[in-house]
Amino acid sequence: MTRARTRGSLAERQAPALEIPPRISRDMIRFPHGLPGFERCRGFVLMASEALGPLQCLKAVEGPEASFLVVDPRRLLADYRCQLTDADRIRLGAADGDPLLWLALITIELDGTITANLRAPIVINPSTMLGHQVVPHACVYPLRHVVVGGTAAGE
Amino acid sequence: MIGDGIRIEVLRAGRDGVRLGVVAPPEVAVHRKEIYDQIREANERAASRPFDLGEIARRLRHRA
Repeated sequence: MTRARTRGSLAERQAPALEIPPRISRDMIRFPHGLPGFERCRGFVLMASEALGPLQCLKAVEGPEASFLVVDPRRLLADYRCQLTDADRIRLGAADGDPLLWLALITIELDGTITANLRAPIVINPSTMLGHQVVPHACVYPLRHVVVGGTAAGE
Repeated sequence: MIGDGIRIEVLRAGRDGVRLGVVAPPEVAVHRKEIYDQIREANERAASRPFDLGEIARRLRHRA
């Protein structure tokens, strides 16, 4: 086994293969600080495909291997609102009124339940191609919002 | 003071403990470790599950 394979978290080792031919956005989104737990993943691409429906795949292309399923949180809760701090806006290079792309990370729980992390959304500023995961100080939304099935309750 | 512009303030000191505040420039992220850890763990769970994308897309469409 190579060193590269033994290194890194479970998550990095088990990154899934995208089987459906994706419509790949070739533009890299820079995450200057990575994501919590994936601090060395500094560049991602967002992949969509008709077959995936509302889901998209956020895949690291710089740093360790990692990929996430994501969904626009407003497709789950139409009135979803999350406040950005000045620090968030600076990280995104976002001016007031800049349209931002919001994404909630999807998790397939052990019992098959599909949950979405509405508490700490990923925000991307398409005009700067900067991304950032919001780590909120206070947030009413759950870390595990149940999207489909299973017995797990929201956290 | 810590480095450039990061300041630790004692907001309240009492018998039961001390409440500290961190003042930092807006480009410096200040997080409570337990919240950051919670999100880190959630991210690791999100990335670690093997999944069948077609199956998930089908279940989501079913739901809508």
